[in-house]
Amino acid sequence: MKPAAFEYHRPESAEEAVAVLGRLGDEGRILAGGQSLVPLMNFRLAQPEHVVDVNRLGEFDYVQADDRAVRVGALARQSTVEMDAAVAERAPLLREALGFVAHPPIRHRGTVVGSVAHADPAAELPAVALCLEATVTVRGERGERQIAAKDFFLGPFETAIEPGELATEVAFPASAPGTGYGFVEFARRHGDFAIAGAGVTLALRDGRIADPRVVLCGVGPTPLRAAAAERALDGGAPDEETIAAAAAAAVEGIEPPADMHGGTRYRIGVARAQVRRAIAKALDRAEGGEG
Amino acid sequence: MATNPRTNTEIPLVEKPSDLKWIGKSVKRVEDPKYLRGLGKYVADLGFDGMLHAAVVRSPYAHARILSVDTSAARAMPGVRAVVTGAEAAEIVDPLPDSGPAPEQHVLRVLAVDKVRYVGEGVAVVIADTRYLAEDARDMVLVEYEPLDVIADPLVALADTSNLVHDDLGTNIAYERTFTFGDVEGDFAAADIIVKDKLHWHRCAAQALDNSGAIAIYDAGSGEMTLHTNSISITSFSFGLAASMRVASNKLNMVPHPSGGSFGARFSNWRTAVTAALGAKVTGRPVKYSEDRLDHILNGDQHSSDRYYELELAMTEDGIFKSYRTDVVDDYGAYIYLGVGTHGNAMAQVVGPYRIQSTEYRLRAVLTNKCQQGAYRGFGAEVANWAIERIVDKAARQLDIDPAELRRKNFIQPDQFPYHIPTGNLYDSGDYERVLDHALDEFDYAGMRAEQERMRAEGRNVGIGIVSCQERSVYSATEFWFWFDEPAAEVTSTPEGVKLVVDPMGNLNVTLYSTPFWGNSSDTMAAMLLAEDFDVDPQTIGIDYGGTKGGLPAAGPGGSRLTVMYAGAIRGAAGKIKEKARRIAAEMLEADADDLEWSDGGFQVVGSPSSRAEFADIAMTAHLFATKLPDDLQSGLEATHVYDHPYTTMPSKDRSDLGSFYPCMGHACHLAMVEVDLETGGVEILRYAAVHDAGTMVNPRSLEGQIIGGTAQGVATALLEELVYDDQGQLLSTSFMDFLMPTAMEVPELLIGHEETPSPITEYGIKGGGEAGRMMAPGAMSAAIDDALREYDVHVTDLPATPERILDWVGQKAGS
Amino acid sequence: MSDAPSRRTIELTVNGERHEVEVEPRKLLADVLRQDLGLTGLNLGCSHGVCGSCTVLLDGATARSCILFAVQADGAEITTIEGIAPSNEEMHPIQEAFWEQQGLQCGYCTPGMVLRTVELLRENPDPTREEVREGIASNLCRCTGYQFIVDSVIDAAARLREGEPDGHVRPLIGAEEAGSEDDHANPAPAAHP
Repeated sequence: MKPAAFEYHRPESAEEAVAVLGRLGDEGRILAGGQSLVPLMNFRLAQPEHVVDVNRLGEFDYVQADDRAVRVGALARQSTVEMDAAVAERAPLLREALGFVAHPPIRHRGTVVGSVAHADPAAELPAVALCLEATVTVRGERGERQIAAKDFFLGPFETAIEPGELATEVAFPASAPGTGYGFVEFARRHGDFAIAGAGVTLALRDGRIADPRVVLCGVGPTPLRAAAAERALDGGAPDEETIAAAAAAAVEGIEPPADMHGGTRYRIGVARAQVRRAIAKALDRAEGGEG
Repeated sequence: MATNPRTNTEIPLVEKPSDLKWIGKSVKRVEDPKYLRGLGKYVADLGFDGMLHAAVVRSPYAHARILSVDTSAARAMPGVRAVVTGAEAAEIVDPLPDSGPAPEQHVLRVLAVDKVRYVGEGVAVVIADTRYLAEDARDMVLVEYEPLDVIADPLVALADTSNLVHDDLGTNIAYERTFTFGDVEGDFAAADIIVKDKLHWHRCAAQALDNSGAIAIYDAGSGEMTLHTNSISITSFSFGLAASMRVASNKLNMVPHPSGGSFGARFSNWRTAVTAALGAKVTGRPVKYSEDRLDHILNGDQHSSDRYYELELAMTEDGIFKSYRTDVVDDYGAYIYLGVGTHGNAMAQVVGPYRIQSTEYRLRAVLTNKCQQGAYRGFGAEVANWAIERIVDKAARQLDIDPAELRRKNFIQPDQFPYHIPTGNLYDSGDYERVLDHALDEFDYAGMRAEQERMRAEGRNVGIGIVSCQERSVYSATEFWFWFDEPAAEVTSTPEGVKLVVDPMGNLNVTLYSTPFWGNSSDTMAAMLLAEDFDVDPQTIGIDYGGTKGGLPAAGPGGSRLTVMYAGAIRGAAGKIKEKARRIAAEMLEADADDLEWSDGGFQVVGSPSSRAEFADIAMTAHLFATKLPDDLQSGLEATHVYDHPYTTMPSKDRSDLGSFYPCMGHACHLAMVEVDLETGGVEILRYAAVHDAGTMVNPRSLEGQIIGGTAQGVATALLEELVYDDQGQLLSTSFMDFLMPTAMEVPELLIGHEETPSPITEYGIKGGGEAGRMMAPGAMSAAIDDALREYDVHVTDLPATPERILDWVGQKAGS
Repeated sequence: MSDAPSRRTIELTVNGERHEVEVEPRKLLADVLRQDLGLTGLNLGCSHGVCGSCTVLLDGATARSCILFAVQADGAEITTIEGIAPSNEEMHPIQEAFWEQQGLQCGYCTPGMVLRTVELLRENPDPTREEVREGIASNLCRCTGYQFIVDSVIDAAARLREGEPDGHVRPLIGAEEAGSEDDHANPAPAAHP
C-alpha cells in the first residue's frame, strides 16, 4: 500500500498556488490535510500525476469571527476551529459537528475547508455548511468567486469548484444569540462516518418554532436540506407531535444508497431518528426552551 | 476417576500448591521495557544488506482461469530484480504443507497456476529494491483471466458438482462425516422436550495489527535457507516446510521474531515464508515479504470459522439436558490447510459444562471462492460455545426458567471430575457452580435484575445475558487426524522443549523454541516459572528464542498451551540442573547429597542451614573448577528438557471414542447487561462481568489482560466485525473503515473475578487461559440482546448482531 | 508520469536531532522515519490512517505518519517513541506507568498510545476514566481490550501531577521547551533499505 509516484508542487503564496493549479488543470490534486486523500493514494485508488501541497499558504491559516460570520481560512485545522471560543459562540453547530469528525489526531491535520471541498456525502462539515448557508470562496486564475453552499455540492465528492481553482475560505453566517442547535449522528463506532446524521438550528419566538433549518448527511449523493421538515417545524409548537411530523417529513423521498453497513430502509429509519434527536436538542438549547 | 496413561495411576484431585513464591504474583512483565521504548523488532523492522522487497500480484476475480501472465513490462520497471509467475514458482518450490483431507486434490500453492480461486489469491510476485518500486511494477503485470461462475454460497456449493473450486476433488465438500457418541437416538426418543435452533456465525478474522511476514536468506552454496518469520514453526514439522522450499530438512532455520499480535493469524502461516524463500532462491539475495493490510485481509489465511448450524437439544420437562445434536456446515473458503481442526476444538467441549450423556456431530466442510480460514482465538471452540449457549437460552425461554438456574442444574458436579464427555475428551477438573456464584456476585445479579426492571418500566430495552462456557487448553496431535479412519500418520507428539543454561555467575538463560513473541507474555511466563524454581527475580533471567535448526522439538503457542507446556519443560530442565547442582554442592560442603535441601537460592544441609552453598558459587565451581566436581560429572551447568503432552489417549478404531485430546479444561462465566436503541439498532453495554477459572494462575494481571482483550474481540465478534463477500466473491470489507475493530469506546469496562480449580495433570495445576473471553463474550452479548428485546421474541441467530439485523429481527416479530 | 521522480532534500528535526534526507515526494513520513532514520518504533498497522500505530508528534501534535508525505514535514519538529525516555537507564513516567499497569501485550500499538497519552495529559492532566477512553479511541489496540491502558494513563497522570522527575526529556511540545541536543539517548542506527 505505497502510493504511486507524482510530481510535487509546494507553492509558497496564493498567487503561486493559483498559477500552478491553473497550469495543471484537472491533473493537479490539492493536498491540504491529506487525511482523506493520502489513504486513497496509499490504496492507489487515487493516482494523481501532480500533487499541490498548499500547507505553506500561511495567509489562509485563520479563523475570524464577528457578529455576522465565522470565516474559516483554507488552512485552519479542524481542531483549531473546534477549540476556538468565537466559533463556540457564533457557530455552535459547527463546533458540535466537529466533535464527530473522526478523531483528534485526524482533526489536527484535517482542515474545515478541505472537508467541505472534499464533499463526502457522509461527512459532517458539508452538512453544516449547507445548514448554516455558508459561502465558499474559490480562487482561480480568472479571479475570485463566491459560491453559496446550496449551489456548491453537486454529487458524491463533486463540487462546483472548477479544475485549477482553490477553495480559500468558508464563511459560516453567525447564528443569532439564543439560537437552538443540535448535531447528532449514528455511527457503528466512535469516530466513524455516520450511517446518518442530522444538523438543526432554530429559534423560539413567542413559544413557537422560527427559522428552522434541518440538514441530513449520509443519506444521499450530497448533504440534504430537508425543506419539508423545515416547513413542518416552522411556526409549530415545540412538542413531540411537531417533532415527529418533521422527522417523518425529513426522510420523505430520500433514497440512501445501501452498503454493507446498512440497507436503504434501515438508513431511512436511522435518519429519521437523528432528525428527531437533533430537533429535540435544538429546542432544548434555544432561548425560551427547556435548556 | 480417570487414569493417567503415562503412569497408569489414578488421577487424584489436587490442591493448588501453597508455598509458591513467584507464581501467583502480578509482577511487571519482563518483556515490556523494550516495547515501551519502541525497540521491539517486528519482522517489518528488520533489514539485511542487499535485501529486496516482494509485492504479490493478487487476483481481482473470485474464480477464473489464468490464461496468460505477461511480466515483460513489469520486469523492465526501475529497481525490479525478478518477477515470478505461479507456473514459474511451481518449478522452484512445492505446494505448502497442508493438513487438509486431500492435499493432492486441493493443492495449496504459494501462487496460483491454473486458476484463481478467491479474490486476492496471488498470481505472481514482484521482487524489487523497495516495496514502492515493487508495487509500481506490480501494476504493470498483465494477467489475462477467463472468469468462471463464482461459488459464493456454501449451501449451494454443497450440492453443486458442476462448478467446483478444485476440479480434481470432484466435489466442493472437502470433508463430510457424522460422529455419534452414546445413544443419541434413544435419548431423543425418550425426551420430553426437543428444542431446535438454526444459527449462522459469520466470517470475521483475527486481524492483529501486525501482519504476517518473512525474510528469507538463501545460500546456494551450502543449501541453507534462513527464514526470519513471525509465524510459529513447530520444530518437528518444519521438515514439511523445508520440503516445500526444496531445502534439506536440516538446512532450514526458521528464526522466530515478535509479531504485533497473532490471535492465531501467525499459526503456521507459511505462505509469506515460502513467498520470501521463492524470492531468495530466484534472486540470490535476502528477500522480505511483509504483508500490508490489504495483502493480509485478502490473502492472509487468517479468516475465522463461517458456520451454519442446525441444532437440537433434548431435555426433560424440568430442564435436564439429555442429548445434543449438531449439524454444521462450515465454509472454509478455497483451501483447507488446517483440515477440520476447528471442529476438533469444538468436539473437545461440545456439550459445554453440562451432564449431557450423548451427542451427535455432523460436519460438512465446504469449499467456496473465498480466502481460506486460518486460526482465530478459540479455533472453532468459541463458535461451538456460542451455539450451545444459544440453544440453552432458547430452552430457558421456553421453560420460563432463569437462565442462570437452568445452567446450574445441568452442571457437571465437582465430584464427577476427572470427567469424560461423550466424545471421549477428558475434563480434568472444574467447579462450575462456584464460578457461576462468583460471577453472579461480581455482577450483582439480583441487584441488576431489579435495576433492569426499573429501566424497562421507563420504556428502555435493557437485557441481561449469562453464559457458562468451557475453555479447553493444550491440544493433542490426535485432533488433527482422528477424522480419518486411515490417517496418513497417527501423530501423538506435541512437545515443548526448553534449554536452560546457567552461566558461571549463576545467571540463568532459557531458550524457547517455535515461539515468536506475540504479546502472550511468553518471556514473563518462562521467567516466572524459572524464578519459582531458582528463587531469583524474573527480571534477571535471560530469554532467547531459538530457531528450528538444531532446535528442540516444540510447538509454541496455540490452543492456550504455552504456559502449561513451559511449566512442564522448565520443571524438567530445572530439575536436571538442580540435581547436578546438588551433587556439586555436596562436594563443596563435604556432605551427603541426600542430606541437602534446596532453600532460598542455594543448597544447605538439612537442619544445619549455615552449612550452605549459594547457587552462584555452585555455578562458578561447575564452570571453572573441574577437579572439584564429582568424578562422573563434566564442567558446565546446563540442561534440556522436552515435555510431552501430559495426558493424551488414542481414539478408538471406530471413532466412537475420540480419546482425550484437550483435557486441561478451564471454564468461565460471563454476564452482560445491554441497552438496545430501537430506532438505530445500536447496542450499548451497561455492565459486564467475567469470572474465569484457568487453574493455578501464574500472573493474575497478565491473565486478566488476556481476558479483557479476548472479551473485547468477543464483543466485536458479537456486534461489529464481519468479512463480507458479495455474490461475486468480492470482499467488501477490505479496510479498517469497513472491518470494524473496536475502539476503547466500544469495549466495556470489565468486572473480573478469578477462581482456581487446579489441574491434576499439569505442573502447579496450571491450565491455559490465553483464549479467554473471546470464547464467552459472543454468547453473553447474544443472550443480553435477546433479553433486552424479549417482548419482540428476538433470538439472535446471526453474528455479528449488527444494528440493522437487530431491527430486522424486531421488525419481523413485530410484524411490521 | 516521468521516469525519474524528482527527489527533494528535506530537513527533519527528530527527537531533537536535525537530519537532512533526500526523498521522493511520495515517500511516506512513516517510511522515512523507519527506513532512512532507522526509527522503527512506530509501526504500520493499516497504512490508511485508521489504527494509529504510526503516530508521531509533529510540531507537538499527534499525527499519523502513514498518511503524511515526508516532504510535507519539511522543517518540522518530530518526536517519536524513541525520543520519550530520558536515557537508556530511565523511562518517562508514562512508560513507567504502562509497565506498572501492564498496559501493553504485543507492543505494536504502544508507541502510538504513549505519544497520544503525552498529548492527552498535556491537554487534561486529571482525566476521568471515561475521558481517557474517549481520548484513546483514536488508537486501536487488538490485544489489551483497553482497560489496562486506561489504568496506565490514569497512573501516568498521577505521576506527572506529582511532579515525578522525567529528566532531560526532549522537546515534546514543539518550541515551548528548549531541547538540548547533547541529551541523546537513542542515536539513529544505520538506515536499512
